[in-house]
Amino acid sequence: MTVALAVVLVGGGSLLLRVLPLLGAARIPDRVTVHAGRAGMAVLAATTVRTVVQHRDSSLAGASVTAPVLAALAVGLGLWLAYRGRSLLLAVAAGLASYLTLAAVLAART
Amino acid sequence: MYDNLIEEREVRARPAARLDGDCAAGARAMLPLLVAYAPFALMVGAAVAASDNPLAAWLSTWTIYGGAAHLVTLDVLAQGSGWAAAAVAGLLVQTRLSAYSTAMAPDWAAATLSRRLLAGILLTDAPWVLTRARESGRRGFYLGAGITLFLAWPAMVTVGALSGDFLSGNPAAALVPALVLGCTVATQLRHRPVLVASAAAGLSAVVTAPVSAGVALVAAAAAGTAAGLLADLATRGGPPEAVAS
Repeated sequence: MTVALAVVLVGGGSLLLRVLPLLGAARIPDRVTVHAGRAGMAVLAATTVRTVVQHRDSSLAGASVTAPVLAALAVGLGLWLAYRGRSLLLAVAAGLASYLTLAAVLAART
Repeated sequence: MYDNLIEEREVRARPAARLDGDCAAGARAMLPLLVAYAPFALMVGAAVAASDNPLAAWLSTWTIYGGAAHLVTLDVLAQGSGWAAAAVAGLLVQTRLSAYSTAMAPDWAAATLSRRLLAGILLTDAPWVLTRARESGRRGFYLGAGITLFLAWPAMVTVGALSGDFLSGNPAAALVPALVLGCTVATQLRHRPVLVASAAAGLSAVVTAPVSAGVALVAAAAAGTAAGLLADLATRGGPPEAVAS
């Protein structure tokens, strides 16, 4: 019952958050939509940074420091490639491959 | 409003083949992201299977429709904190959806009620951010991307619920969704206010790393919006420019 109640509330609330602004779309001033767009982009940027900062990898020595640093290098490479206009797939693949390579090298040395 | 009416006429006048093309382009753009999201979906599926009420947790895949909020809700419940705390934690993570939905208003203001409802139901991070980078045919592109994810995400969560999170056990897999979303944001950082807003939000994320995800994301949105506004004032001394955002 507890699970059902919680997921119904979160699900219903999520639907309202998605749908209500679109139902009143014609009444929303342009300036508000511009700021909302930036807020959305800011949240995605923060999600990426938060994932990096909280990243853990038990296969690495000193994982609480090494893993976020490796993740930052790998994600940084991917972001740089995407910023330079490379395809999304290439940027993600390069970031992921660099993480796996660096993690394997570090794991082999310890 | 006038612009929206013009666009609506353009949409109506646009050949069906063009709309289908936009829709197909959206679906194609979403396909690589499905691969990236798979480990995350398996992780959510494993949490669903481990929940006290797997059926309710699974059914909410379509309504919550967000892996982070789903995981946070089930995690708070698993810790025994009660339904109210779980609901608040989950909804805090989802507040970003109202920003996405508000930002979509100019594109959808002239659409029919049923189309706007459909757009809202399909809304989550990936279709929204992919569509932001698009210059024209946004509605069709968004629907193509959104429908593709809306069909695939519950299917992947179901596989995770049935088979466990064998893929998400790899730490590198946990990086992939954030890497994909980050790379999509990076393509849009040439606009100075967006760059400043993203940098402020990133800094906020470092500072708020120890607190819950919902609180951290709301703080990042506030920091990003304030920084973007300051960037506008500093560069132009006037209101924000819709095109550059």
